[in-house]
Amino acid sequence: MTSLWPRLEPLLPRVEKPARYIGCEDGARTDIYKPEATSWLLTYPDTYEIGLPNQGLQILYELLNERPDAFAERSYAPWTDLEAEMRRARLPLFSVDTHRPAAEFDIIAFNLSAELVYTNVLNCIDLAGLRVRASERDDSDPLVGAGGHCAYNPEPLADFVDFFVMGDGEEVISEITDIVGAWRVTGKPSGSRDTVLHALARIDGVYVPSMYNVVYDGPKLVSVEPRHSDVPPIIQKRTVADLADWPYPRNQLVPLTEVVHDRLNVEVFRGCTRGCRFCQAGMITRPVRERPASQIREMVSKGLERTGYDEVSLTSLSTADFSDIEKVVSDTIDEPGTCGRVSIALPSLRVDAFTVGVAAQVSRARRTGLTFAPEAGSWRMRQIINKLITEDDLYGAVRSAYSQGWHRMKLYFLTGLPSEMDDDTLGIAELVQNCVEIGQEYTKKASVTVSLGGFVPKPHTPFQWFGQNEPEELQRKVDLLRSKVRRNKRIQLKWHSPGASTAEGITSRGDRRIGRAIEYVWRRGGVFQEWSEHFDLALWQEAMNASGLSLEWYVHRHREEDEVLPWDHIHAGLHKDFLWQDWQDALAGYGLEDCRWTPCYDCGACTEYGIEHVVASPAPPNGGSQGTGQDLATGHLVPVELRPRAGIGGT
Amino acid sequence: MRLRLRFSKIGKVRFVGHRDVARIIERGLRRCGVPVTYSEGFSPRVRLSFGLALPTCYESEAEYLDIPLDPESVVDGDVVCTGWREGTTNSIEQLRTALNEALPTGFEVVTLVIEPKVGPSLQESIISCTWRFDIRGGNLELVQRAIVAALESSTVEADRKKKNEILRENIRDGIYDLRADGTSELGPIVVAELSAKPRVIRPSELVEVLAPGSELGVARRTHQWIEREGARYEPLALNNSRTIKDLA
Repeated sequence: MTSLWPRLEPLLPRVEKPARYIGCEDGARTDIYKPEATSWLLTYPDTYEIGLPNQGLQILYELLNERPDAFAERSYAPWTDLEAEMRRARLPLFSVDTHRPAAEFDIIAFNLSAELVYTNVLNCIDLAGLRVRASERDDSDPLVGAGGHCAYNPEPLADFVDFFVMGDGEEVISEITDIVGAWRVTGKPSGSRDTVLHALARIDGVYVPSMYNVVYDGPKLVSVEPRHSDVPPIIQKRTVADLADWPYPRNQLVPLTEVVHDRLNVEVFRGCTRGCRFCQAGMITRPVRERPASQIREMVSKGLERTGYDEVSLTSLSTADFSDIEKVVSDTIDEPGTCGRVSIALPSLRVDAFTVGVAAQVSRARRTGLTFAPEAGSWRMRQIINKLITEDDLYGAVRSAYSQGWHRMKLYFLTGLPSEMDDDTLGIAELVQNCVEIGQEYTKKASVTVSLGGFVPKPHTPFQWFGQNEPEELQRKVDLLRSKVRRNKRIQLKWHSPGASTAEGITSRGDRRIGRAIEYVWRRGGVFQEWSEHFDLALWQEAMNASGLSLEWYVHRHREEDEVLPWDHIHAGLHKDFLWQDWQDALAGYGLEDCRWTPCYDCGACTEYGIEHVVASPAPPNGGSQGTGQDLATGHLVPVELRPRAGIGGT
Repeated sequence: MRLRLRFSKIGKVRFVGHRDVARIIERGLRRCGVPVTYSEGFSPRVRLSFGLALPTCYESEAEYLDIPLDPESVVDGDVVCTGWREGTTNSIEQLRTALNEALPTGFEVVTLVIEPKVGPSLQESIISCTWRFDIRGGNLELVQRAIVAALESSTVEADRKKKNEILRENIRDGIYDLRADGTSELGPIVVAELSAKPRVIRPSELVEVLAPGSELGVARRTHQWIEREGARYEPLALNNSRTIKDLA
């Protein structure tokens, strides 16, 4: 085995934050190299600080390293300063565990958590010393894989990645290892790459783009069809039925340098059926699978004792929805080993489930930041997006927090939602001002940070047919809100760059042809596109023009009902006609209940795979169908229409 | 009472910055149930008082740290642990072993004492540090000549980056000792004792003086010195029986 450390070490004093590249985390495995074993390089295509805490990557890292015939190491995208040094010194991409060159692994597997990292994926493949286009790689080159939420529309990366994995990775990673292991022992002879890919394509949940032909009619996509009769026309996602069987990570990595979410993270449930129509995660990860409370307690106390952390995050898509969350929080604080000095982070809080009781429990320890996501400024808009929380729900949660000693909180909103009008945008200002006023009843220091994101429609959601707002329109809405709240010093408004939302739109719903634009941006140095200092919309526009692709076609137009969507061959369980009906219901302003506490409406996520919710409590938190008991059947008096494409100004 | 530690930081972990070291040690102390004390205020932190901050990329076999202890938890010179080690009492040696198990590879507590909290803080009392470093691509003979010239002269000009400007300063008065000590695989080895007051002079400043155009190899702090009644001491001397494991 080769270690690049002696060549890397002299470069590190020249770069920022060199501790990103040394590994040495508590929990890291440096003793697992086995010459005969199948090796994975799990790569997060963003900085170490962003990538290290990724739970999915850590789970797979442990599972693979438990196998006697396999091992896994990790890699992260080097920041631009080190990349320049590496290219000058002809040093390839390396693992941080043992600093082996990436090309020595059997599989380089990428975690795709966000679309704007796609150019970094290409950059990492290139830094590994491989051809970026899958078709140009040699038989003995590592296979390039990818998984994670963005893999649900694999097409934009189809030319660069050998295989994609849909859904939960816990089980399928083992099946892939078996196939690649068998290939490995043959010595990977000439012509065998196609054979192993063909075998991978037959695994449930694995998509091998080279096994499929894509047919277009002008700009229109006609079909994505398998080239072989034994390759499935539709790729089904993988779902683990019961989280209790997978108490991972058992040994969460503890980094030596500060990272995001630098604390113990314990996943309390997976999946969410609140049914927010903009939310891809809530659609593709169904059904809800709660971890047993006793297992959570054990993972929390063992994890805190082993790591020495004094903060734990109970993670999920909506943690306050966990059955009897109050008890889980109080048990954590009462764990004797922490001496009462543990803080609890509850990311993704539903306001209708965040009660005084939960607030009081959390505030017994050190208070962590509170973030609520009302998402839209008016009830009309929240019905359309199916985020069925009332103003009173929000004010109740905000009051709970301020009354329990919080001084500030963060509120997330989206703009550019379907049929959004200026009154909806301005409604955000009113909501936030009222929150600040509630806070001032309790503390003079009360303040609210508003984070405003531009809405990017995502595949496998009811909004997948919606034409995204142009960057100018998003900016106009940001400015509208800004002018309304600017004078209030207790409100800080932050917004996501409308240009970055446009680039995200290109990659989010693109087809295979978008790969040309991604490659163009990468070849002109467009890496770390999630970082504002490196992002440039003009480069993406230039790339689209140069590739003969239209921004209007890919990003801004509304899709037709009968249109073939680039991800139609990927199945997340959700029936397409369910999603279309939900889209029509959205425009009519009809809400949809949370099926974990009400009868099934057959979206497909459970019935397609013979699985069901694993939820301890039969009743929603805080009572009511969506926690509030409002009448969901009202809808609009007149169905709303989409904003006409030509006009700007919000009708 | 306080716990005073002397620890080393050698190998890959030399790239970990000072603030991160504090966080690593804090986690280690918590894992071992050391009865630390906390700052007051909205967000209480563990009280830790370091010697001079070690620049990122430098190794050390002489890092110091004072940790104020809850006085009631020191009984007959042993430490009554709390938290995850509630119910256990550790001798100094047991505590050292436990800390070394809890700290990442590359960090090693070499000696520690429990003593009353007296005197100025470590940061205030350190007057100088001894460093041992090699110069990548330097030439031993030229370095030796440069050392002689520097010691004979009353001015040694060195560049120092300060925010966005580069200052040129005479650092001769801050060089207490300077000598060559053979060669490593990277280049000539230099041993230097450099002042810590009024400001810390770093080995990197000397490289340009001793071997223009060369690069600092690996630098290691071997001593931090304090002054007491005219004599020079280390805050914690090493036991003769205990030598530092070289992990590099």
